[in-house]
Amino acid sequence: MSSPLATLTARYHGLSDGRRGFVRGATGMGLLAALPVIISISVLGVSIDQWISMRMLVLTVIFAFAAQAWNVMSGYTGLFSFGHAVFFGTGAYATQLLLNDFGINPWIGMIVGAIIAMGIGLLIGWLTFRFEVEGHYFALTTFAFAELARHTVNNSPELNGPNGYFLPLPNEYASDYGLLAFQFRSDTEYYYVALAFLALMTLLAWQIKRSWIGLYMFAIREDEQAARSIGVPTYRYKMLGIAISGFFTAWAGAFWSMYFSSIRPGTVFDLFINVEVLLPAVIGGLGTVAGPIVGSFLITPLSEVLRQTIGVPGVDLIIYGILLVLIPIYTPRGIIFWPEKIRGVIRRRRTRGGDTDE
Amino acid sequence: MIELAVAVDPTTFTTAPAMTLWERTIGPLVDLGSDVRSGNTVLFTLLVQGILLGGIYGLVALGLTMIFGVMDVINFAHGAFLAIGMYFSYVVFTSFGLSPLVSLPLAFVALFVLGMAIERATIEPIIDAPAQSQIIITLGLWFIIEALIEIAFSPNPQSIHGSYGSFSIAGISIAEGRFYSLVVAVIAMVATWGFLYYTDMGRMIRGTADNRVGARYVGIDVRKINYTTFGIGAALAGVAGAAITMVRPFDPYTGEIYLINAFIVVVLGGLGSLPGAIVAGLIIGMVEVFGSYYYPRTMYQMLIFLIFIATLLLKPSGLFGSDHHE
Repeated sequence: MSSPLATLTARYHGLSDGRRGFVRGATGMGLLAALPVIISISVLGVSIDQWISMRMLVLTVIFAFAAQAWNVMSGYTGLFSFGHAVFFGTGAYATQLLLNDFGINPWIGMIVGAIIAMGIGLLIGWLTFRFEVEGHYFALTTFAFAELARHTVNNSPELNGPNGYFLPLPNEYASDYGLLAFQFRSDTEYYYVALAFLALMTLLAWQIKRSWIGLYMFAIREDEQAARSIGVPTYRYKMLGIAISGFFTAWAGAFWSMYFSSIRPGTVFDLFINVEVLLPAVIGGLGTVAGPIVGSFLITPLSEVLRQTIGVPGVDLIIYGILLVLIPIYTPRGIIFWPEKIRGVIRRRRTRGGDTDE
Repeated sequence: MIELAVAVDPTTFTTAPAMTLWERTIGPLVDLGSDVRSGNTVLFTLLVQGILLGGIYGLVALGLTMIFGVMDVINFAHGAFLAIGMYFSYVVFTSFGLSPLVSLPLAFVALFVLGMAIERATIEPIIDAPAQSQIIITLGLWFIIEALIEIAFSPNPQSIHGSYGSFSIAGISIAEGRFYSLVVAVIAMVATWGFLYYTDMGRMIRGTADNRVGARYVGIDVRKINYTTFGIGAALAGVAGAAITMVRPFDPYTGEIYLINAFIVVVLGGLGSLPGAIVAGLIIGMVEVFGSYYYPRTMYQMLIFLIFIATLLLKPSGLFGSDHHE
């Protein structure tokens, strides 16, 4: 291993190194698994579930999952995608279409959708990486693909156009509600399915980051020219990143479509899906494993709580917007680095107050 | 938004007889071809409409392309600035009865000041940060501004364009509002061009766009260039917004549609290129007008995005862009 890559590993160790990382990750997932119980515990007659509903938690976890998938591509290789709605919508549509028109089980539909999304990802990658479309141009290209997908579905009677699909009752395609039907009676069950997705994706993201694959990806993010010059097959690893990312983002779309039971191009290919998928990762910490999860748990419930507690519609968006402006200005690396930052401030204050140790 | 477009009731979508793939893709091109051969007068009407719409798209893209070209920032708040321009001229119209043509200069000044203030407060601290910080911040600004407008004016559509009549030249009926907006677009483009090429500030802005580091070395105050450019960009958006009120009804989200089309115009024309913005604006205007006449439903938007993707892949620097920007 050449030395520039070794320095890179040292730099991006972060929370992802070795056994400690695994213990932390497992503890975190355990906490998330206990969350439905925790929020219902009442202390002196007050419990958190007055403000935080299960539905909110389901959304939080599924967008943490999507953000984790986004991060493997955009956070690791630095190719900023602003068009993940194309994968999200593909997953949602494939699942619903196969289920509605052919009676195929949603779990199979989800996998089929994910493979199609991966194909779309590889197509986008093949087109853009060959022509060296980078930076802002890459973000705009991916955005254009997402919008193209939205308009294409909107104008295709074969895909029910703007009307979309509505989920049939579970006993029409499976015996009843349950895991096989991907349909549940309570939000808690959806929550655990979403959490299983998230755990799987997090383990995968963590393993990728720890391995030489992640090393190559971060080398591409730092300086693609330099990475290529020391022998990193950059094209191959960028393609790998977009394929993995597309595959799992489609899962998020499939889950979304099963959870909300109806889909339209205006919802699953919407401009804001692009934003919602990337926001947790960027706010939490680009390229970190815990970042997308922490980011999603900060912003998704926050926007919901704001919407519910503030009477005037729109004020929640303003507060949300203010956060979006302030967080990148004060912590461009993400909120996952807040503890480190606070520790740094305390240390500096202590050295300034005490005698000159350093 | 184009009067010529046939309104489609969404409920009739599924009951209407399904068109074959041919009828939806190649057929319209054949129709266009036969109309050209037979010299159908509808072509002239479409051409005029395309020029009128293209002028607005060029004007919307003008500010965006300046910010993009000089500061290398994708400004997602541009659509929100448009909305401010729209509601500014709406307020002036409803409370003082002044035409948007009168309130245009006021909108320009107001948004110039606002744009500079926003740049100093939010963009300047992260100007050298990676692209995602700028994307997130301008998205945040967009949410804030749009929500403020929604709270102040309700999400319902407003309209003042009905106060304009129409006139006809050579048998083609032209809405007065559309005509005025094209005149405004042309004046704004000429003025921006004159500013960039014949004033010291304009020269410094162009120098900074060419080479930021070099500009700093020769003593240009790059920070000042940044907030001035952002201010002008916002001001041009304000003017464009005021012009749009003369053309169609608007709501707090109207800016979004124009923002997406403006991105396409900017990339198609080449970032930072003024002639590029004008020509690409016309191209997109034409595609929209002709596309919505010949193609069913909203398929013209697919055409626009296909053109966009093809441009990004084949010549990312755009029609008029030079390659050194990359």
